[in-house]
Amino acid sequence: MKSLTTIADFLRARFPIEKMNLQSMLMKKEVPIHKMSWAYYLGGLTLLFFTIQVITGLLLLFYYQPTVNEAYDSVKFISDKVPGGAVIRNLHAWTSSAMILTAILHLLTTFAMKAFEKPREVTWGTGVLLLFITYTFGFTGYLLPWHQLSVNATKVGLQFIGAVGQYLPGSLSELPNKLIEIIQGGPSIGQETLSRFYAIHVVILPLAIFAILGAHLLSVQLHGMSKGVDEKPKIKEPFFPNFLIKDFSLWAIAFLILFILAITIPFESFFSFPLVEPYNALGSTPEGIKPEWYFYFIYYPMELLPFWVIIIIMILLVLGLFLVPKIFSGTSRKTLTFIAIIAFIYFVTMTVFGQQIFELIKGGHS
Amino acid sequence: MHDYFLFIGLPYVALFSLIAGTVYRFNSKKFSISSLSSQFLEKEKLLWGSVPWHIGIITILGGHIVAFTMPSFLQALVSNVKILYTFEALGLTFALFAFCGLIILFVRRLRNARIQAVTSNMDLVILSLLTIQILLGILIASLYRWGASWSTHTLAPYIQSIFSFRPDITYITNMPFVVKAHIAVAWLIILLIPFSRLIHVFALPLEYLFRLPQIVVWNSRRQEESVITAQIESESRRFFLKAAFGITSGLILFITGIADKIIPFFRGPELSKGEKGELLKQKLQKMKATIKQKELETERLTKDFIYISDLKNLKTDEGIYFIDYQMKPALAFKGDNGLPILYSAKCTHLGCTVTNKVKEGALLCPCHVSHFNIKTGDVIDGPAPKPLPKVKHILMDANNHIVVNIDKSKLDEYKVYIVKGENT
Repeated sequence: MKSLTTIADFLRARFPIEKMNLQSMLMKKEVPIHKMSWAYYLGGLTLLFFTIQVITGLLLLFYYQPTVNEAYDSVKFISDKVPGGAVIRNLHAWTSSAMILTAILHLLTTFAMKAFEKPREVTWGTGVLLLFITYTFGFTGYLLPWHQLSVNATKVGLQFIGAVGQYLPGSLSELPNKLIEIIQGGPSIGQETLSRFYAIHVVILPLAIFAILGAHLLSVQLHGMSKGVDEKPKIKEPFFPNFLIKDFSLWAIAFLILFILAITIPFESFFSFPLVEPYNALGSTPEGIKPEWYFYFIYYPMELLPFWVIIIIMILLVLGLFLVPKIFSGTSRKTLTFIAIIAFIYFVTMTVFGQQIFELIKGGHS
Repeated sequence: MHDYFLFIGLPYVALFSLIAGTVYRFNSKKFSISSLSSQFLEKEKLLWGSVPWHIGIITILGGHIVAFTMPSFLQALVSNVKILYTFEALGLTFALFAFCGLIILFVRRLRNARIQAVTSNMDLVILSLLTIQILLGILIASLYRWGASWSTHTLAPYIQSIFSFRPDITYITNMPFVVKAHIAVAWLIILLIPFSRLIHVFALPLEYLFRLPQIVVWNSRRQEESVITAQIESESRRFFLKAAFGITSGLILFITGIADKIIPFFRGPELSKGEKGELLKQKLQKMKATIKQKELETERLTKDFIYISDLKNLKTDEGIYFIDYQMKPALAFKGDNGLPILYSAKCTHLGCTVTNKVKEGALLCPCHVSHFNIKTGDVIDGPAPKPLPKVKHILMDANNHIVVNIDKSKLDEYKVYIVKGENT
C-alpha cells in the first residue's frame, strides 16, 4: 500500500494535473536566455525532422513494394520514373541522418545542461527511449531498398547479436542465434526479414514513437525549459510567441537546407556502385560493407576490441543512459558539460576518422 | 518641313529645357520642387482622382520606357500572341484608369472654389495637355492596333536616334496624324516639366513607403501621451503587416512548391510504351529468378542428393558458387588431388559471403578481411573465429551410381553431389 502511494506521488510530481492547461503550458511558459540558449532549439529541430520523415515516408508508401522481388525495382521506380519521387526519397534519406544528428546533439546538450534533474527524469528517460527508437528506425529502414549494402549491412548487424552466444554457458549459448532467427523469420535474411522490418519500420516504431513522444513533449511543456546554467538566469523570454517564432524560423531554414541537399546531392552518391546493385544472395559480398555513419562510434570499436569488452561497454552505456538522473544528481553543470564534450569529441572522431583509426591499428590487409 | 521642327527641333529644345530648367530650379528655388498638394483643401475627390491617375500613368510610362529602351526584348515577348493581347489589354486598362482619374482631378480643379484659388494658368495648360495626350494614346491603341508590336521597330528607333544625336525621322513622317500629335504633345509636356508642378516627378518620395510614420507632437502633456500610444499602435501595425505579408508570401511559395512536387507524385509517371515494356521485362526476369530460387528450395527440402557440377568443370583457382541445404551460399573447388573440395561460403565471423577467387592459396572475406586456407578452410588471419565448414559431398558415376572406390582414370566422368543432413 505504501509503495502504491509512493508511485502515485512520483507520478503526481512528474505530471502535475493542476498545470495541465493551455494557460500554464503555453502562455505562461518562459525560456531563459543565456550562452547555452541555442541548445533549446535542438529538440524542436528533431521534431521537425521527425515530421518530415513521417510525411515523406507516407508518400514513399504509395509506390514502395516490400517484397524481395519488387523492393529494389520499386525504389528505383520511385527514383527514376515517379515525378518528384527522387526528391521525396532523397529527402527521406537526408532527413534520417539529420534527425539522428540533432537527436544526439539534443541528448548531449540536455545532459550538459542537467535537464534531467527532478522533476524532469521522465523527460530524460523518454528521450533516451526516443533515441533508441530513432536508431532502430535507421537500422530497419536501411534494409528496405534491398540492395547489396543494405542487406549485407543488416546481416552483419544481426550477426553481432549471435556473437554474444560464445560467452553464454551451456544451452543458453544457442539463445542469441535463436533470437536472430526470430528477428529474421528464418535461417537467413529473406522475404520474411523484409516483411518484418517493413512492419516494424512503418507501423510498430511509429506507434511506439508517437506514444513516447507524446509523454516527452507533455512533460517538456509541463515543467518548462530547464534553467540550463548553474547561476540563476537573469533574462527570460516568453515561449509564446517569441521563442516559437524563432523556432519556426529555424525550421524554415533547416527545411530549406535539407530540400536543397535533397534536390542536388543524391544520398546514394556516397556509396560506390556495386554496393547499391540489387542484392544477390549467391554472389560474393562486395567490399566496403559498413553500417550508416551513426553506428560508427560503436562499429569501429567492435572491429578493434575483443567482443566481450564491447558487450560490457554496451550494457553499461544503456544502463548508464537510463540512470543518468540518479548517477549525476549531485554533479555540477561544469563537470557535466566536460563529460558531454568528451563524448562529443569521441563520437566525431570515430565517425570521421574511424576508418583511418581502424587501418592504423589493424595494419593494411591486402 | 514642320516635321523637322516637331520631331527634331522640338525634342532637343524640350530636352534642353528639361535639363537646364530642372537644374536651375533645383539650385535657385529648392522649395518649389513640389507637387503643390491641395490635399488639405479637399480630400475626398483627390483620393478618387489622384490614386487611379498615378497608378495608371506610372504603369503606362513604364510600358513606354520598356518599348523604347528594350525594343528587341519587347518584340520577342509580344511575338507570342497571348502576351501581345495581355500587354495591349493591360495598357488600355491602365490608360482608361488614368483617364478617369485625370477627369476627376480636372473637374475637381474647375469646380471647387478653394482649389480654384490656388490654381495657376500653367496648371490648366498641363491638365489640358495631359488629357489630350491620354486621349490620343487611347485613340492610337484602339485605331491602330498592336502598337506594342509595331512601335518597337518604328518609334523606338526614332527615340533612340534622338538620344544618340543622330536624329532620324524616316519612320515618323508617314505616321498617321494621331500618332504624330501624340509624339509632339509628349515633347511639349517634357518641355513644360520644369515650369510646372510636374517637376515633382523628380522628387519621388519613395522613402514614404518605408519610413516610420511621422506624428506631430503637440505641446500639451495630455495629448503627448495619446500621441505616444498612437505611435506605438501604428508602429506595431506596420510591423504586423510586414510580418503577415512575409509569412503569407512565404507560405504561398512553400505550398506552391510542395504542391508542384506532390500532385505529380500522386498522379504517377506517364510512361511511354517502350518504358512500360522495359519495366515489364525487368519484372519478368525477376520472377524467373524467383521461380529458380523456389525450385532450389523445394529441391533441398525433398531430395537427398543435389547435383552441383561435373567434376571436370571445377577449377583449383576459382570456385563455383552453389546453394547448400541451408539455402546459404557455398563454394566448390577442385583440390590438388583432382577431387572436389566444398566449403560453406558464409564467413564464420559475421556471415558475409567469401570471394570465389583463390589468391596465394587463400580465400578472402571482403567484409572484415579474414583469409581462409583453401586446402583446409582454416583461418590464416582476420577476425573469423572458426575455419570455413566443409560441405559433405559424394561422387556419382556416369550411370548415376554412388562411387565407392574412386577410379582415378574416370575422374572426368564423375559428377559432384551434396548430401542431405550431413552438411555442417
